[in-house]
Amino acid sequence: MSSKLAGGFSFDNHVRNAALQQKGLTLPKAVKTGTTIAGVIFKDGIVLGADTRATEGPIVADKNCEKIHYLAPNMYCCGAGTAADTEFTTALIASQLELHRLTTGRESRAVTAMTMLKQMLFKYQGHIGAALVLGGYDCTGPQLFTIYPHGSTDKLPYVTMGSGSLAAMAVFEAGWKRDMERQEAIDLVRAAIESGIFNDLGSGSNVDICVIEKGKHEMLRNYARPNERGQKERSYRFARGTTDVLQTSVRSLVTVVEGDQMDTSS
Amino acid sequence: MVGKNCVAIASDKRLGMQAMTISTEFPKVFPATERTYYGLAGLATDVQTMSELLRFKVNMYKMREERTIQPKTFAHMLSSTLYERRFGPYFTEPVVAGLDDKNRPFICAMDLIGCINFAKDFVVCGTASPNLYGMCESLWEPDLEPEDLFETISQALISAVDRDALSGWGAVVHVITPERVVTRTLKTRQAVCLC
Amino acid sequence: MTTVLKAGEVDLGTTIMAVEFAGGVVVAADSRTTTGAYIANRVTDKLTKVHDRIYCCRSGSAADTQAVADIVHYYLQLYSVQHDEAPTTRVAASLFQELCYKNKDNLSAGIIVAGWDAQHGGQVYGIPLGGSLHRQPFAIGGSGSTYIYGYCDSAYRENMSRDECVEFAKNAVALAMARDGSSGGVIRLAVITEGGVERLFVAGSDLPRK
Repeated sequence: MSSKLAGGFSFDNHVRNAALQQKGLTLPKAVKTGTTIAGVIFKDGIVLGADTRATEGPIVADKNCEKIHYLAPNMYCCGAGTAADTEFTTALIASQLELHRLTTGRESRAVTAMTMLKQMLFKYQGHIGAALVLGGYDCTGPQLFTIYPHGSTDKLPYVTMGSGSLAAMAVFEAGWKRDMERQEAIDLVRAAIESGIFNDLGSGSNVDICVIEKGKHEMLRNYARPNERGQKERSYRFARGTTDVLQTSVRSLVTVVEGDQMDTSS
Repeated sequence: MVGKNCVAIASDKRLGMQAMTISTEFPKVFPATERTYYGLAGLATDVQTMSELLRFKVNMYKMREERTIQPKTFAHMLSSTLYERRFGPYFTEPVVAGLDDKNRPFICAMDLIGCINFAKDFVVCGTASPNLYGMCESLWEPDLEPEDLFETISQALISAVDRDALSGWGAVVHVITPERVVTRTLKTRQAVCLC
Repeated sequence: MTTVLKAGEVDLGTTIMAVEFAGGVVVAADSRTTTGAYIANRVTDKLTKVHDRIYCCRSGSAADTQAVADIVHYYLQLYSVQHDEAPTTRVAASLFQELCYKNKDNLSAGIIVAGWDAQHGGQVYGIPLGGSLHRQPFAIGGSGSTYIYGYCDSAYRENMSRDECVEFAKNAVALAMARDGSSGGVIRLAVITEGGVERLFVAGSDLPRK
């Protein structure tokens, strides 16, 4: 066991793993989010959208995962790529932003988050597989960025990412207008994500939406659920005693109820 | 698997080197606390290393915080432990099942680098996971009583394991309720196919 | 030398150029950014400001060139504060060269630096893949540049007027965009003179037709 005090990644197992792999061990696959994520700037804010499918190779690992991550109260970030990487990079930057806010006493700016993310991802030269759509509302107004795993960034009024980005971008290219109303923008993002859900195999299940405006945000979890599963028509419940049991052991648990506080007044 | 005010966690007991069976009594499910259990699928050496490391961490948490760790907290601790080794991972895929301080069921699964999959119904891991997904998807239903949950999880595991050449040789099922933890050893097919 | 893009990396399959004229320089670029066959951004701005009157044109990996440009931008800000005067274009170009040469095994960046300073007027520097530095009257770069060497050599004249120079750059980039599949979109230009920087834009529908 490593007894380090410093943070950062541990490469302790790397040499061993390389040797194991050479000997023919097949390692388990990491969960990827073959994803559709998107964002648009509208008249007075940002709408972010994401599907909710996580995949492990051809298997759907999670049918209703959350891909819109918190960065700051005025900033959210959609993640595509290696699921653990998007989860932890956004969490790391969110914590750095919180500390930054406490030292500066100012609201975080989207460019700050964008720069922190791109510098971190560039440092790891694409090995951290996080493709992000960053949306925020700060003192400079609504801001929308995309950040690629290698650390390049783009600033655009409407963006898509992930395996379903082509399907979603087609919807944006056809339907995007300058200075849309809030509901118009939500509808457009929903249509774009649904296009990804239906036309891209890596994306599926429901649509999550996040609206960020001046001084407020609204998370619309499962805004659309176009893939609701029908009621099961039959129950496959087994009669008690179906399974052959060789051995049973019971460990009884005691629930401790906190009593009155001890009187220490005298 | 989640039931009504209870959770169940199950695994097979085989330890193998590719096709060769080494042990048929290899524990893969460990208690983290009284009401939280976790299972580790994957490379045996890492399963043991991880379980020892987690035992250490859970004990440290208990001493520092003077309280037992909640399943959700435990899951995040496990997840961070795995992600710290993002570029040299332990080959283990964990499953966590437990009841929190309000006796609400909690389950989750992770990939080998710590991406948590929170679920409200069931989670699966390991070589038989494609089979298990299929079984659980059709057998599971909401609000099963502990006894029914035991039958459902056992039948799902047995059927899945019977179609996985790399799993088998008996199974263990733990059903965790607010009052007790019932551990049962199952009778399963005790042979490898003659291939 | 390993200057091959990593799998899935964002590429600025590009046409960029910079031209000196009588009172300054003109920089120009197409606007296409690609990942494989997909256009990740069709209105990219590949002309990046690194100081008040110094711009760089980026080609190669988007991540690498953005990182390098950000670092140079930081150094030049520091320079102007510490020295209390604007850096010369040569200083900026040398910083770019230092970074590109020292990290040449890890970077795929072809950069053109152009700007105006009080000492030397308008200047253009090219920094191709290996990290060498070349002072040139005009420089072209990116995948699209191969198609327009002939045109540029024949059409370039010393001491052009501002408008002639803009016209020359516009035509050259349009020609490259027409032949190179990795270049396209709109043309972005910047005219850098003593008076400041003027940004110009040519929409994809208004490209010069020949």
